[in-house]
Amino acid sequence: MRRKGRSVTGKVSIGLKGRKLEHQSVRVEFIGQIELFYDRGNSHDFLSLVKQLEPPGEMARDATYDFDFHQVEKPHETYTGTNVRLRYFLRVTIVRRLSDIVVEKDIAVHTLSQFPELNNSLKMEVGIEDCLHIEFEYNKAKYHLKDTVIGKIYFLLVRIKIKHMELAIIRKEITGTAPNLCTETEQIAKYEIMDGAPVKGESIPIRLFLSGYDLTPTMKEVNKKFSVRYYLNLVLVDEEERRYFKQQEIILWRKGDSKVARQMVTEK
Amino acid sequence: MAMEDQEKLLTEALNQVKKNAFEMKTCLDNNKLMDALKYASNMLGELRTSLLSPKSYYELYMSISDQLQHLEQFLIDEFQKGKKISELYELVQYAGNIVPRLYLLVTVGMVYIKAKEGSRRDILRDLVEMCRGVQHPLRGLFLRNYLLQCSRNQLPDGNTQGEQDGSVHDSIQFIEQNFSEMNKLWVRMQHQGHTREKERREKERLELRILVGTNLVRLAQLEGLDIGIYQKEVLPNVMEQVIKCRDAIAQEYLMECVIQVFPDEFHLQTLNLFLKSCADLQDTVNVKGIIIALIDRLAAYAHRSDSGGIPAEIKLFDIFSQEVTLVIQGRAAMPVEDIVALYASLVNLALKCYPTRIDYVSKTLGCCLEAFKKREVSKIDSSNPVYKELIRLMKVPIETYEDTLTVLKLENFPDLFELFVFQGRRALSLFLVQTIVDRDCIIPSSEEVEQLFKLISPLLINQPDQPKEPEEDDDFVEEQWLVGRLVHLLKASSPDQQFVTLSAVRKQFGAGGDKRITHTLPPLIFAAYKLVKQYSTLQQQDDKWEKKCERIFQFCLQTTNALTKVKPDMAQRLFLQGALAADQINSETIAYEFITQAMSLSEEESSDLRSQQATITLIMGTVERMKCLGEDNHATLRTNCAQASARLLKKPDQCRAVLTSAHLFWSGKVAGKELQDGKKVLDCVKRSGKFAQQCMEKVVQTQLFVELLNSCILFTHKGNDEVASTLTQLFDKVKEDVKGLESGEESEQIRKHFENTLEYIRNTSGHFGLSV
Repeated sequence: MRRKGRSVTGKVSIGLKGRKLEHQSVRVEFIGQIELFYDRGNSHDFLSLVKQLEPPGEMARDATYDFDFHQVEKPHETYTGTNVRLRYFLRVTIVRRLSDIVVEKDIAVHTLSQFPELNNSLKMEVGIEDCLHIEFEYNKAKYHLKDTVIGKIYFLLVRIKIKHMELAIIRKEITGTAPNLCTETEQIAKYEIMDGAPVKGESIPIRLFLSGYDLTPTMKEVNKKFSVRYYLNLVLVDEEERRYFKQQEIILWRKGDSKVARQMVTEK
Repeated sequence: MAMEDQEKLLTEALNQVKKNAFEMKTCLDNNKLMDALKYASNMLGELRTSLLSPKSYYELYMSISDQLQHLEQFLIDEFQKGKKISELYELVQYAGNIVPRLYLLVTVGMVYIKAKEGSRRDILRDLVEMCRGVQHPLRGLFLRNYLLQCSRNQLPDGNTQGEQDGSVHDSIQFIEQNFSEMNKLWVRMQHQGHTREKERREKERLELRILVGTNLVRLAQLEGLDIGIYQKEVLPNVMEQVIKCRDAIAQEYLMECVIQVFPDEFHLQTLNLFLKSCADLQDTVNVKGIIIALIDRLAAYAHRSDSGGIPAEIKLFDIFSQEVTLVIQGRAAMPVEDIVALYASLVNLALKCYPTRIDYVSKTLGCCLEAFKKREVSKIDSSNPVYKELIRLMKVPIETYEDTLTVLKLENFPDLFELFVFQGRRALSLFLVQTIVDRDCIIPSSEEVEQLFKLISPLLINQPDQPKEPEEDDDFVEEQWLVGRLVHLLKASSPDQQFVTLSAVRKQFGAGGDKRITHTLPPLIFAAYKLVKQYSTLQQQDDKWEKKCERIFQFCLQTTNALTKVKPDMAQRLFLQGALAADQINSETIAYEFITQAMSLSEEESSDLRSQQATITLIMGTVERMKCLGEDNHATLRTNCAQASARLLKKPDQCRAVLTSAHLFWSGKVAGKELQDGKKVLDCVKRSGKFAQQCMEKVVQTQLFVELLNSCILFTHKGNDEVASTLTQLFDKVKEDVKGLESGEESEQIRKHFENTLEYIRNTSGHFGLSV
């Protein structure tokens, strides 16, 4: 696992199992790539660094090469979604006349962020006239991935027979560019926060631990290829199974965790 | 929903619980906590149902909460092994459904507290707050009940704990919040569902009330809850919640709850607040019942030996009196009977706590009277709901005062009496008199007589609103006897006063009409004779005693005269009794007067033949006993008696009466000395024998002769030689006669009588010279 601005270093060992190998050259590449699944074969490399390990010639013995992509800027976080994948990988290529020998090794990259400077609570009054008025409040607008959503729902007017209320986390993955945008919506979590029908004046507490769910940081316009956005969806269900909801975007970010950051991945 | 459906649903749910509980326990045994939690959550999922009635839901809840104890025990063991409970506390909150989640949270929370890992105060706060998520009344009530039950022994109490751990204030806050939320849920039940199911809903709510009330019980159980906190914090908050919920069922129950669960000492210090709150309750609340419950409790407290009594600085009666009046004023719709019941309770309080403050009771009665005036209530009959309550109220002082006559000192008591129609006044009068008689309450003067008799006049004289002339049935007779028994309770400070009292009673009784006086005057006359006897013992102290006795006899003569027309035989006996009384004080003139009154009455009135014989016997018996008569008067009387005896119509009557008259000549006394005129006695015996001889029926004749023989034996025994000389002849005759009797039931009796006589003779030394 790599952090954004760290060097990617390692060793490449080539074992010949006693034979000789003739090659055009041996190189190692560090590649950041965005793949759109509906556009197979048309991947886009936003990062591509090459180091030559061995000039063309003949290898007679096993060899080990150190490489170091020094303090390489990795602008995005690894992501695997419904329609899109962003990956970093090392590719070692032994170039030959007929067919190259290629080994790829994926590297996960997390982009760690600082505590946001501005992080106001989200507060909003919503409703349907003469039917339902609620005010909800989430303690923050930006949550790190191990954070907890704390909040409250105030019922200002209740004229419908509510059966229960839940809070959902929704991920929207938007790919492509206008006008050919493709949005995939996925419900990551469904969490009941109220059972039964409240009356006017009630306030219902919210406490949702995020660490239990499979979340990524919010990504916006990654390389102008895709975005991943998260929403808290507050849903009220009435006795006739009608659903009343309000979506509110939250920003997710990955908090720097020193333990994770120092972990090194050993490569082949 | 039909019963079978309920049972089926419940059985299914319980089966699920069993299944999941089994899996849960298996996982716990294998130390697989995560899996165990999953099964626990499944089990708890059964509590999400909306289909069960409160009763079935309760069963389900109980079964589940039993199972959760296994989980709790396991977790306690875990933390003792060093596991961090705080992580678990977060972990269980990932459960997607709120009901299972919160049950788990509470369960883990309690272990969290026991592990002393986190601040007890904060955990409790968090739990009670998170429970808000369940807004469904039934599910919410049970969840919060679970919280309350689990936290039972975990609440900080007293002031021993540190700041972090919380103090009794935190516990109070915790319970109060839980209480307020539970009450809201409970009240909300009333407003959910169809209106036509209102009755069923109210029934269900009553089944659930204990869940809400338990909060108050828990508050009361806090040792750190002292009067100061109760007064400043707890009661105001509880009252606010009670009033704010605007629900009659809740208000009624919770007010009663407060009264029952908190100690009397607390109530005493918070009366004003509590009672003021009563005034703010919904119109349909039975405020009467609430206030009465409190009053009765405090009255009992004041009366209890182990209590310190009512502190002097608490003007208990004044506070209640004032607040009750305000409550009544504030509730125009309050039924009058409820008002009466409230005042009855207030009277009870005054009597129990302030037994000497007659004015308190008077004042309350006055308030009651005032209320009647305001509501224009009068002529209360038994169909009026007020009737029963007012009777009850009036009976309280009658029953409570040791000296029942204290009620005569109560202002407004008579006025309230007057509000009843005849029936009620009669019933109350009877109750009053019965109580006085049962307790032997002394009536000390004519003043009390007048007050009392005015009150119980429905028993004494015909009333304008009386439905009809009283019938002389058993009830009436018993009632009049009861009135008569009052006479024996008249005990004035002096004989003179006693006479004044008796005269006062005489006046009242006299107005009662013929049907009553036959029952009421005789005891009065006896009381008067008793007074004569009393004077006779005071000869040394009172030189006018003789004069006074004369007045009493005049009084008796007049009084008895009132009876001569209505009940001559009774009058006659009373005259004879008077003669005996006069004899005891040696007053010949009066005694003679009374005897002659009796005799003339017998001549005038006795038409009944049987009673004539009885009467003459009675008169002779009286004359025989008297000692004060001089020769002249005695001669007149005995001769008269003998003549009257001979004048009777039937031979057997003549025979017996003349035989009786013989005693006047032997044991009759002139100037205190027995006559013992043997010749005259023999004359009578002979004449009696002649009358017997004249009887045609042999059986009757023989019976008379046996009786004659007996009398002769008596006279012989007493030393009458004249009679003794005839004894042998008579004996032989009787013996023959008895032998000659035909067999039969009567003959058998006579034979037995004779045999008994023989037995007596045999046992007598000398056998009177008879050969038996």
